[in-house]
Amino acid sequence: MKMSLTVNGTRHEVDVRPTARLIDVLRDELGLTGTKEGCGEGECGACTVLVDGKAVASCLMLALQACGKEVTTVEGLAHGGELSLLQRQFIAHGAVQCGFCTPGMLMSAQALLMENPTPSADEIRTALAGNLCRCTGYSAIIAAIRAASGREADRADGSA
Amino acid sequence: MTDELRVVGRDHPIADAALKVSGALVYATDMRLPRMLYAKLLLSPIAHGRVAHIDATEALALPGVVAVFSHENAPQRLYSRYRLLPDQDCPEDEPLFAETVRFAGDRVAAVVAEGLDIAAAAVRLLRVQYEELPAVLTAEEALREGAIPIHPGGNLLSEFEHAAGERPEARGNEVTVTVATSLPRAHHAALEPHSCIADCDASGKLTMWSPTQSVFGARTVVADLLGLSYSQVRVIKVPMGGSFGGKQEFTLEPVTAFMAMTLRRPVRLALEREECISSTMVRGASTSTVRVTADPAGVLKDLEVDTLFDAGAYGTSSIDYVDMMTKKLTRLYRVPQYRHHCRVVYTTTPVAGGCRAWGAVDITAPMEIAMDRLAGRLGMDPVELRLKNLVEPFDRELLTGAELGDARIRECLVRGAEAFRWDERVQQDPGRGRYRRGVGVACGAHKNGMLSDTFPDFSTMTLKMNEDGSVALGASLHEVGCGAVTAMRLIVAEELGIEPEMVSVTEADSDLTPYDFGCYGSRVTYVCGAAARQTAVALKERLLEVAAVLMGRPVAELCFRGGRIEAASAPGEGLAPAEAVMAAKTVLHEDVSVQSTHQATSNPGAYSAQFAEVVVDTWTGLTRVTDFLAVGDVGRAINRAMVVGQYQGAVQMGIGFALCEEVGLDTAGRVVPGGFKQYHVVNTPDMPDVKVILVEHDGDDGPYGAKSVGEISVVPTVPAVVNAVNRALGTSLSDLPLTPAKVVAALR
Ligand code: FES
Ligand code: FES
Repeated sequence: MKMSLTVNGTRHEVDVRPTARLIDVLRDELGLTGTKEGCGEGECGACTVLVDGKAVASCLMLALQACGKEVTTVEGLAHGGELSLLQRQFIAHGAVQCGFCTPGMLMSAQALLMENPTPSADEIRTALAGNLCRCTGYSAIIAAIRAASGREADRADGSA
Repeated sequence: MTDELRVVGRDHPIADAALKVSGALVYATDMRLPRMLYAKLLLSPIAHGRVAHIDATEALALPGVVAVFSHENAPQRLYSRYRLLPDQDCPEDEPLFAETVRFAGDRVAAVVAEGLDIAAAAVRLLRVQYEELPAVLTAEEALREGAIPIHPGGNLLSEFEHAAGERPEARGNEVTVTVATSLPRAHHAALEPHSCIADCDASGKLTMWSPTQSVFGARTVVADLLGLSYSQVRVIKVPMGGSFGGKQEFTLEPVTAFMAMTLRRPVRLALEREECISSTMVRGASTSTVRVTADPAGVLKDLEVDTLFDAGAYGTSSIDYVDMMTKKLTRLYRVPQYRHHCRVVYTTTPVAGGCRAWGAVDITAPMEIAMDRLAGRLGMDPVELRLKNLVEPFDRELLTGAELGDARIRECLVRGAEAFRWDERVQQDPGRGRYRRGVGVACGAHKNGMLSDTFPDFSTMTLKMNEDGSVALGASLHEVGCGAVTAMRLIVAEELGIEPEMVSVTEADSDLTPYDFGCYGSRVTYVCGAAARQTAVALKERLLEVAAVLMGRPVAELCFRGGRIEAASAPGEGLAPAEAVMAAKTVLHEDVSVQSTHQATSNPGAYSAQFAEVVVDTWTGLTRVTDFLAVGDVGRAINRAMVVGQYQGAVQMGIGFALCEEVGLDTAGRVVPGGFKQYHVVNTPDMPDVKVILVEHDGDDGPYGAKSVGEISVVPTVPAVVNAVNRALGTSLSDLPLTPAKVVAALR
């Protein structure tokens, strides 16, 4: 079926199977492989993208459900070759290890900051509840998001 | 020493962080090769049986299906997915495709098609008839008289005992406790599922792209299995979204290589989460009974451990894994006699294999739970009991006589107890109401590399200087995601006095980069890091040699000063290294590059002491870890931010192992479906902000004194949490994980 959707500001016409998931269209049709698949069942958050500004597991959403909508993927966070503040804080705080959870973490954090520009640590934890990370123990990720939110971050590395 | 260091010891982001935050890093499943085919496996739905008949007619008729493989058209040769060295002693018991399936998840067949959706649809069209055999779901069952043999040699894969020392004469006033602790099957849960791509060109050369922990091991297994020379198989390490041991062994590489070689086209095999859990590797289930004896003052007199380990359907690394378990406790405690009796047993369950810290978690949990029980019996504080028995710096351990180096576990424990306010918090009343609070402590020991009386360790690297003074380190690194590449970069930059951005570092490519065993055994920082430093030193020597010829002065007169090569007698005169490199090319017709092999001569202990506070809801049985402190004897942090981050991540894994992570099987031996719905990994709301203290010192042979981090960091976490729960509740739980149901049952 033909459909159109806007991804990172660009409108695309794509021909999709009715059963195709949004993640398949992003990765396979549009070549936006930054969005990762860690489980395919809505449990790990690696595939999180924004659909009309809301964080969505793109492995659970049919591509057709995104018809006519604005989708933002991790590739859409940087502007004019400049990483966003959130991306830069992830780097600066050591919030990135293997990087497989990172795109999803960034998109969940982006959705949170768009809705609540100054979240508390607990609000961040709640917003990231659906994003698993096996490498970092989350502390550096939370510190990076707090720093991007403009709040004074706690010591990023957890050193006591 | 840290003050004199420019880049080592500070906080650095991981080298490819910018690629990772922008979604630009290409992992295996992001790659697409021209004419690439997609494979999908058919996994056995039953735990044990014979494949009587496979009807692939319908599958093959589906447009886009290229081939169907099964035992009927694949080599029958048995191999070990664990083999690293060609002459290594490993059980060869696994076929590419099973004619006798030995666990639910065993490979029965594969469909290769032009698209993934076609392959997936075709797999559903395969009609397979099985003749079922009795399933054998526990190690106890497998050893029972009359149990059906899972492999021709029977179900006892290996039985051995390690013993050393002598038990002092009994005085009659000793205290002995015996505690059995069970650890379930666990999933490594790297966020990136397993995947692999193989291609075979017209000349028969096989190239593989794999997120593996050892390209040379993958090459060995694939080439031996397919009858190719090692020069015909090239394995390229690609970015890896975590491993934790789950990608150490060569699970997908052999079957993917076989399909690509047969079809002469690139084939991609990528698993889904449920397939990763059921069909790749798990941490094996084990029960260890610890019998520990101390005198009334708490000094250990005797330690005996009996382990029953469930290897699952294939042997892979299980014998070595259990052998490694043995060697951990005498690195931690002084004890006059130690004995470890081990049985490694086949069952028709998911295959056990390497898992972070290779047995140290599996034996330290039983030991440290038993130590708390012993402290209780002696009426002694758990920290005090441990301090009476922990090893001292430069001890030799009892079992192998290996030197432990500047072992600072006592310092870890003392500094941790103070920072955690242990003395005060251990006295606090857990409460009588619904919520009970408790604290727990545990210690752990691990190693630095693979060097032992029976195994070598070394690493070879090359380093060349470019015409602008930047350098390229050629090394077979296998970045698992925690910064091995960055650490090497920092070490080389430190040694050469240049900025880290001036150092490029390769990952492993079996055709192009020098030999290295791979990323495991806690060897990368200690052995590869030392190799990187040694190679940088060799490059400086080479630069001096070149400069000596160019300047017409004896080498002995030259030295590095302010980033230039100068003669001691003629300050101001001299060359920048980049100038020397240019002149070497144009005047001497030479390149400035070196190759160097570092041979490990020591394998000291790595140590950690950890402290947990938990709150248990006695109504629901739910446990929350509310505070956590990890103290690590790291020798020297090469990249502080990543060392702390690895500790924090390890604690997340350990808390999961203690409280909720278990690969559950149904009564037929199938993994309970549901992926991460069933297999609970600790998420953000349930994680405390883990505090980390690093104990740093000189005294060991690693680069700048650095020791391993990635595995030791998880070793004491499980018992620290379990001991906290038992203190909060007054229970003696030791059947892991401590699920709400078990907690509630214990309180009844
Ligand atoms: S891949 Fe979508 S939530 Fe895991
Ligand atoms: S950085 Fe590896 S899973 Fe989060």
